[in-house]
Amino acid sequence: MGPTNTANAEQRHSVAELEELAFELRSKLLYLCGTYEGAVHIGGDLSVADILIALYHYGMAVDPTNIVNPKRDRFILSKGHAAVCMYIAMAMRGFFEFDDIVNTYGQLDSAFGMHPCKVQLPGVEASTGSLGHGLPIGVGMAKSARQRNESHRVFVLMGDGETGEGSVWEGAMAARSSELGNVVAIIDRNRQLMTSHAEERVALEPYPDKWAAFGWNVVMVDGHDMSSLVNALDNLPPASSDRPTVLICETIKGKGVDFMERNLAWHAGSLGQEDLAKAMASLESTRASKGAN
Amino acid sequence: MPVTFTFGEWFSARTIIGQTLADLGDEYPNLWTVTPDIGMTLVEFREKFPDRFIDVGLAEQAAVGVAAGLAYEGNIPVVSGMLPFLSMRTVEQIRSDVCYPNLPVKIIGTHGGLVGNGGSTHYAVEDLSLMCSLTNMTVTSIGDPLMVGEILRQSMKMTGPIYIRLGVGKSDQAIYEPGTHDITIGKGIVAREGSDVTLFAHGTTVAQALEAADALEKDGHSVRVVDMFTLKPIDADLIEKCAKETGGRFVVVEDHLAYGGLASRIADVVVDRGIHLTAFERLGIPQVFAGFGSDEELRDKHGYGLSATVAATQRVIAAKG
Repeated sequence: MGPTNTANAEQRHSVAELEELAFELRSKLLYLCGTYEGAVHIGGDLSVADILIALYHYGMAVDPTNIVNPKRDRFILSKGHAAVCMYIAMAMRGFFEFDDIVNTYGQLDSAFGMHPCKVQLPGVEASTGSLGHGLPIGVGMAKSARQRNESHRVFVLMGDGETGEGSVWEGAMAARSSELGNVVAIIDRNRQLMTSHAEERVALEPYPDKWAAFGWNVVMVDGHDMSSLVNALDNLPPASSDRPTVLICETIKGKGVDFMERNLAWHAGSLGQEDLAKAMASLESTRASKGAN
Repeated sequence: MPVTFTFGEWFSARTIIGQTLADLGDEYPNLWTVTPDIGMTLVEFREKFPDRFIDVGLAEQAAVGVAAGLAYEGNIPVVSGMLPFLSMRTVEQIRSDVCYPNLPVKIIGTHGGLVGNGGSTHYAVEDLSLMCSLTNMTVTSIGDPLMVGEILRQSMKMTGPIYIRLGVGKSDQAIYEPGTHDITIGKGIVAREGSDVTLFAHGTTVAQALEAADALEKDGHSVRVVDMFTLKPIDADLIEKCAKETGGRFVVVEDHLAYGGLASRIADVVVDRGIHLTAFERLGIPQVFAGFGSDEELRDKHGYGLSATVAATQRVIAAKG
């Protein structure tokens, strides 16, 4: 059974529609990356593109017409450097205008910065950027919901590298201690940090066991397979349950653009016109080959 | 239970905090307390409002993050703990999670200064410097145990964060008889009138400054004592007034690093406003790891105890104009 919150009632996309939306999101991301002069965290944007579409266009109850609707699900982008991907996913859901993002991103006085700021950009739920901060904030939001008998969920998206921050595990412990089944952590398990591949220098494995050891309900997901994401979101334990859930989403940094995938050089970067054309061609061919399957 | 008061009596600030929060919890149904394994007399609040009390265990960063999450949802969280940890382990959470979105989180704690004999891991001596540097943060340091309740009460109306610093907070002498002084966040308190020199203090050194003023009065000196309990925003007008009315003679005594705390805040005002001073001395903790000893022994050892305060004030009074 899927989410039933009325704030999301009109958004019941099929998997195929969600895949199209994810393609559109990636195209827009690449376009922005090609027009913006500065560096964009394109690698980690592309790894969470499918997740953000699945959340904003399927799994989460959101309300662009009333951003303070108390029934809305809360979303915290703890990996704040993927802000632009979230802005675009939100724009596609009706929160913002995509043109405003493209025309002002990173510029003086723009609300659309490299890391999200709730004060400058209402609709964003929390100001983030420094890693490891989102989960404790989410725990506070979830505690508040419990105390008020509200039934929404709090989703917190983190990078796997980010979970090296000790504060993540302080938050994990607090969520379990308070029996917050309304907390859903989502891990972008792209197996890369900024300067190394996972396990080269940082031992994250046995990764699911770490969350299980903290008492969490652990669900493994293919973070680029929309059916897998939809299935995971459909089958979340009730928000009233006593165990927080982590969706460990296996992903690829730079997903969809062949020369960026698993390439440490593309943690962040900007695309010239020539590279943009190549990137778009690669994205198109990925879609074509998927369609052929 | 309402607090009954006798001037000069000794009170536990922690008890006052506990009682005040338990009272405020009725008045403010969105008031929460959050603590990293430090009770600080939150027992009454916890028993009255179990669904609005969170003990995250030894996890200060989570305590502040959780408070930010509560505040995002329209709640008023009070985080209480030991300041050496609550100010330093969490300074980035305070900056990014609380100050950046300007959330009404209150951070209150004990062990500000060389108090409690825990050694240098357990003394908060840099905290005011750190907190004063944070945008949107209001910074206070309270000496009078009864005043803590009033400050907490006032802070409920604030839209942004506040830091409230105490000493050990177990047993302190009441300084102000309720109703006799204007206690307002952002305003210094003239704790004692005087015209020869102004002795500025905050927190636990206010009582010491008053004692020094008493001692100097016997020698015929008129010493003004200002309790500058709000370090940020600083009461610049009062500083300027005191310079005019006490011959430009200032002494600052504080249980904090001598550089970076109140003395530095006052010096900034003096320079920025072009205030002419005749003499200025600052007494506080030097840049050393202070070691063990009683509060009084440590103050004497590091040159900001009672006798040092009297001596510095005498020098400043005697300085040629």
